[in-house]
Amino acid sequence: MRKGLLYISLILVIFYSVGPLLWQLITSLKMDYELTRIPPLLPENPSLVHYIAIFKGRMFLRVIANSAVVASLTTLFALAIGSLCSFGLAKLATRYKALILGFVLSISMFPPIATVSPLYLVIRSIGLRDTWWALIITYTTFSLPLTIWILTSFFRELPDEIYYAARVDGCTPFQSYYRIVLPLSAPGIFATAILVFIFSWNEFLYALTLTSTQASRTIPVAIALFPGIHEIPWGEIAAASVTVTAPLIILVFAFQRRIIEGLTGGAVKG
Amino acid sequence: MKRSEAATWFIAPALLLLAAVTIYPIIHVIYLSLHRKLLIFGISEFVGLQNFLFLLKDGRFWGALGNTAYFTALSVSGELILGLALALLMNKAFSGKGFVRAMVLIPWAIPTVVSAKMWEWMYNGDFGILNYLLGTKVNWLGDPFWALHAAIMMDVWKTTPFVAILLLAGLQLIPPDLYSAARIDGAGPFRLFRHVTLPLIKPMILIVLIFRSLDAFRVFDAVYVLTGGGPANTTETLSVYAYKVLFQTLQIGYGSALAVVVFICVGLIAIGFIGIMGRRVAYR
Amino acid sequence: MLTKFPLILLLCLSLFYCAACTKTPHDGEKGSDVTIVFTHGKIPGDYEQFKRILRQFERENPGIRVADRTLPSSTDEQHQFYVINLDAGSKDFDVLSMDVIWVPEFAMAGWLRDVSGLLSESELDDIFPGPLEAVTYMGKRYAVPWYIDAGLLYYRKDLLDDIGAKPPKTWDELVRTARLITERSKGIYGFIWQGKQYEGLVCDVLEYLWSHGGNVLENGKVVLHSPENVRALTFMRELIVRDRVSPEIVTTLVEESSRHIFGNGRAVFMRNWPYAWNIFERDGSPVKGKIGVAALPSAAGHPSASTLGGWQIGINRHSKHPDAAERFVRFLTSRESQKTLALTVGYKPTRRSLYSDADLKRQQPFIASLHDILLNARPRPVSPYYMMMTQILQPEFSAAIAGIKKPSDALMSAERQVQHVLGVRP
Repeated sequence: MRKGLLYISLILVIFYSVGPLLWQLITSLKMDYELTRIPPLLPENPSLVHYIAIFKGRMFLRVIANSAVVASLTTLFALAIGSLCSFGLAKLATRYKALILGFVLSISMFPPIATVSPLYLVIRSIGLRDTWWALIITYTTFSLPLTIWILTSFFRELPDEIYYAARVDGCTPFQSYYRIVLPLSAPGIFATAILVFIFSWNEFLYALTLTSTQASRTIPVAIALFPGIHEIPWGEIAAASVTVTAPLIILVFAFQRRIIEGLTGGAVKG
Repeated sequence: MKRSEAATWFIAPALLLLAAVTIYPIIHVIYLSLHRKLLIFGISEFVGLQNFLFLLKDGRFWGALGNTAYFTALSVSGELILGLALALLMNKAFSGKGFVRAMVLIPWAIPTVVSAKMWEWMYNGDFGILNYLLGTKVNWLGDPFWALHAAIMMDVWKTTPFVAILLLAGLQLIPPDLYSAARIDGAGPFRLFRHVTLPLIKPMILIVLIFRSLDAFRVFDAVYVLTGGGPANTTETLSVYAYKVLFQTLQIGYGSALAVVVFICVGLIAIGFIGIMGRRVAYR
Repeated sequence: MLTKFPLILLLCLSLFYCAACTKTPHDGEKGSDVTIVFTHGKIPGDYEQFKRILRQFERENPGIRVADRTLPSSTDEQHQFYVINLDAGSKDFDVLSMDVIWVPEFAMAGWLRDVSGLLSESELDDIFPGPLEAVTYMGKRYAVPWYIDAGLLYYRKDLLDDIGAKPPKTWDELVRTARLITERSKGIYGFIWQGKQYEGLVCDVLEYLWSHGGNVLENGKVVLHSPENVRALTFMRELIVRDRVSPEIVTTLVEESSRHIFGNGRAVFMRNWPYAWNIFERDGSPVKGKIGVAALPSAAGHPSASTLGGWQIGINRHSKHPDAAERFVRFLTSRESQKTLALTVGYKPTRRSLYSDADLKRQQPFIASLHDILLNARPRPVSPYYMMMTQILQPEFSAAIAGIKKPSDALMSAERQVQHVLGVRP
């Protein structure tokens, strides 16, 4: 009896969580004339017209490519710069450790709206506006607090003895970082990578202001501003939403354990 | 010692980048907020604190501040209650845990813009599925009372997974012996929760509160895409207002002043929470 | 194993990107040809037809090539794109299409070339007065009207015929007719329009203000808080709460959502732009052949008014090829191009003589029938400060319509704020 209640609540929870997405999926399969009618809930003739429509122009592919490149490179840079910093904080003698970590954490609290306009002016003056680099530099920086915070706690869990042993064997600090600490913290690094990737894939405000054409426009902006003077292609928006959410769902299913580690690692261990 | 010299080289790149991309803009935005700067007309003059004085008389600013505070308070408490319930549920023994967790995480992973579009569609007063399922005729996004609550409900849906996952981690740290001991003393489920669970996950709740409050106070994309601030600015938050002033009417000076105010508010909230938590947030 | 995963992921993604980007065409210049870049919003209708017109220009003007770029965004975002780029002195585009409300602002900022010389006296007489007013700043023209739009009243011919009613001439008639029909057939809305807080709301409200004898600016003075305007805004609110011909959800409607409702046969009257007509007349549309169009009603004793929309073509002042750009603007706004665009893409020409053109009357009778309405279309306040004014008007109008503020209070508050904006004139 109690088990039954538990499973019923679990089913309700799952329905609540994925229901909206499911509805978007159903919407994306409806023909235009069915979109604004309810009932029926389900499409009479499920159709892929909206999916075909969004992939017909090259615009959408280009936007996906922009997002993929920006998010991957951001992940790469954030991990490289962040892990170096975390290594320095966790394994090397550093003065002002607590101060630096506090500073890094406080930066994660900066409201984006406060930095977006000066950042925009700077990016424009160095000629990077509407390029991938505008977003990559910005996202890398704003991912650093999270990266440093998680990785520092992961690195600290590695016993110092390993590090000392490597130093005695003649490794420079960088070699011991690269050869010993990094490989041993692979799970932590991986967890961080997923979080940074998802953050960069989803970010909206900076992308909205720093990009303006499909040369660098990313997915969230493209979805928010689907082209049209009067007509709004709801079916296509639904199809696009489902398409760009699919990779994230695969990530979540494949790596939910790592994601949870990353999320809790960032908060709990701090 | 040599080691600390090396440490500088490891830490410096990150700090330099942070300074260049976050600290410099903050200083610049404060500088801009002291100017009257209208981009399109090429006007730029120093006006001291005039923008801030004007802000005190700006009804729209106070409205936006009120909306933001209300949004933060309601959505954070909603997420906390729902997240706690979800965490307690997921902490029970059942098969398919990984699957359920992944399902629960989905709203968190979906881009906010996509969720806003999804909910806008569901909230449609004419053919939206929400009214259909509930059998109501609520004008979700067009009614001055409902619109802000609709935005809050969406935010709760989107961020409850994050809260639940953190609280679940907190729950899993509680030693099971504590429960059995309390049960032997004759504590019912409610008292168990009240006297064992709650005190033990209190630190985690505080951490969640600080993260979520700061996030909710900065809310931009959810509202910007869902309602654009309407009707009658009843859903306009500080970030949305600042964005409109900065980028739609291009009053860079006044918009910067608004942005500075958001910055100050967030800082005050953070300091407040850290005060409450004592030194718990300080790195171990 | 796990460490390798991100690398593999990156590799896959970069491969994917390379595949995607090699496909991207480059608008490079060939030989000594001059390439001018034309930026515009999404072309509603057949894009290929539009391309054909550009190719025709290239044939007629050897040595000039046109690269056209669609800005992937809403009108507001396009405005932002232009402001940001023009302010930075961008030379990335030569010719740009502008919403009717932007030209004075761009002209004052000094971003546009003076194109007063592009139109002859006789052409000026032929072009609708509304758009001409909208492209003029300090006595000079900074753009050439390309196509025109205006608010219309769509009505259900069949439903009106059922009760023997005529298309309403006054707002009161509209309310009466809508009530008669909605009482007979349930589940149908009386009158829908655009009530969400956005630019479209300002367009709608202005039509009520004007058709009640009110206005926003008169001879440079703010006249928002007038008895006429109060009456107009009160009437709009009463459509929802007293007459109940407009559903409460009008406060969320934009062009498309109202078009969907009306197109599904669920409303008697709708205010919208001409674009909706073609969609209603498509095969399979539930309202095909049942739709009529008329000028918007007015308050008794006042003329009908509709808000002017449409797009204008101007030249970036920093363009490297001003001569080629001028030739292109002349070509695109010429009588011939406007006729072709009207016949193929459905753009409403800005040249009045085309409306009596035999081909247009035969092939696009709907467009030809709009002449009188378009002639009376009025531009929104022509001011370089319009974008700031609308940021004030939108929430105040929205507040009155949603019932948060009394119309008189909303107008008073809007008047004060607009005065402030105009007062900070440099």
